[in-house]
Amino acid sequence: MKNWQQIKQDNNLKEKLFVREQVFDGIRSFFKKDGFHEVETPLMVAYPGTEPFLEVFETELVSPEKKQKAFLLTSPEFAMKKLIAGGIGNIFQICKSFRNNEGISERHNPEFTILEWYRVNADYRDIMADFEQLLMFLHKTIHQTDSGILTFQGKKYDITPPYPKFSVAEAFEKYVGVTKDQLLSEEALKKVAREKGYEVTDETDWEGVYNQLFLNEIEAKIATQNKPVILYDYPSSQAALSKRKESDPRFAERFEVYLAGLELGNAFSELTDAVEQKKRFQEDLALRRKLGKTEYGLDQDYIDALASGIPETGGIAVGVDRLIMLMADVTDIKETLFFPVEEVFYSS
Amino acid sequence: MSKLKAGNIKKGIYVLHNGKPHYVTKTQFVSPGKGSAFTRAKLQNLRSGATIEFTFKSHDSVEELDVESRELQFLYNMDDEVVFMDPRSYEQTNVSVSLLDGKEKFLVPELNVYIQLYEDKAIGVKLPPKVKMEVTEAEDAVAGDRQNAGKKPVVMETGLVVQAPLFVKKGESLLIDTETGAYLSRSN
Repeated sequence: MKNWQQIKQDNNLKEKLFVREQVFDGIRSFFKKDGFHEVETPLMVAYPGTEPFLEVFETELVSPEKKQKAFLLTSPEFAMKKLIAGGIGNIFQICKSFRNNEGISERHNPEFTILEWYRVNADYRDIMADFEQLLMFLHKTIHQTDSGILTFQGKKYDITPPYPKFSVAEAFEKYVGVTKDQLLSEEALKKVAREKGYEVTDETDWEGVYNQLFLNEIEAKIATQNKPVILYDYPSSQAALSKRKESDPRFAERFEVYLAGLELGNAFSELTDAVEQKKRFQEDLALRRKLGKTEYGLDQDYIDALASGIPETGGIAVGVDRLIMLMADVTDIKETLFFPVEEVFYSS
Repeated sequence: MSKLKAGNIKKGIYVLHNGKPHYVTKTQFVSPGKGSAFTRAKLQNLRSGATIEFTFKSHDSVEELDVESRELQFLYNMDDEVVFMDPRSYEQTNVSVSLLDGKEKFLVPELNVYIQLYEDKAIGVKLPPKVKMEVTEAEDAVAGDRQNAGKKPVVMETGLVVQAPLFVKKGESLLIDTETGAYLSRSN
């Protein structure tokens, strides 16, 4: 039965769906009281993000003189950073984002809600603190408690700051038993994976074996923690839009925050070097071409914005539907959506 | 045995993992965001019953097991076994009630099900999507005095309790969804 049909009989479902508006209200209160402005930027663009492994929805912008390809955003990042370069100050946005050709999952919907915020004269560590405070604030206002203990699926999670934080290198050393040098070497990492019984062929590349080890050996362990966990300093190839670490440029200032097996957010100290950014975009677009993904150009306006001088900025993208899942205590994203994709694209 | 790409495995199939037969109870798409797609599968070891989780690269090869499906009829329940019969040969097959995974409450006399066998041993039971059952207990309900508007619990011939509309009476036959245990409609 579809959600809209079930609301009549299932009061519980209706209450869970209404957690969404409580999360939206909470997010807005949190940022407004800290002096952030809410912005609204286009969802339809000519030059989407360049991530090689994301696929976009494509449409066409038609006017009397011409037709041009248009795409739905995978994230509002570029527009928001252009505004930052323009001097707008601290901003946040809650909007829909779109990712095509993703498989079925209880945590994904092709059209989903993203929260992004950018803090100027800040870096990813400031964003870590923001997130810790935001989650506490939401829990406090929605569940009317100061306890800092969030119950999810019968398990108690202590969400009081600070969260345990590990670098990706530390996590690989602890859970996979590899050194930093082995981690970054395709040959060495493939050997370790093969020894552990993973399928490793000539086609398997570093990214494939890195992520498979990460998902099986590290993410699985993080999921059992009873506190949120922040994983930071990712290998630079896994962080195209973030600054490299000055102390070790093989790693970049990126972090992700996990709770109860859900990846809630992905954050960076934003890359402000226009030349390096353009180079990374070109590499990404070449890989997109190689992988047979939808092709489009790079956002030169974004490069120009960086070149015009952008303050040191920390930024993050958070999956709002997943925050709602946590607050409503549900394990399936469908229970947070008034119309999950299956109920929109049904066969008649 | 046929080889599948891990990205194509689905819930309900049987595969070889680490050299042992497993039943796929769940699959989930996993995306590290900045990386390619992976498939996280929940696999139940057919011999030990233990469930593990494993994340495959989408292009990893997985061997699908040859599982034989035999259509049998439900005969009766014993303590920890369920007895089925081949309606053509009258041969009886006993299956451990644990294989029914809680669905033994949907078994009505002469119900046709599919028993799945691997190496001649029963490893699973597939029920039809809907089953017709008789209501053995139903109270007369007064509308408006319930939290769950418009529903009341009724007991079916197998002992299954179903949330049914208020007009349902004892002795009526209902169609029940075997996936969720939900009332679908009245049946004649």
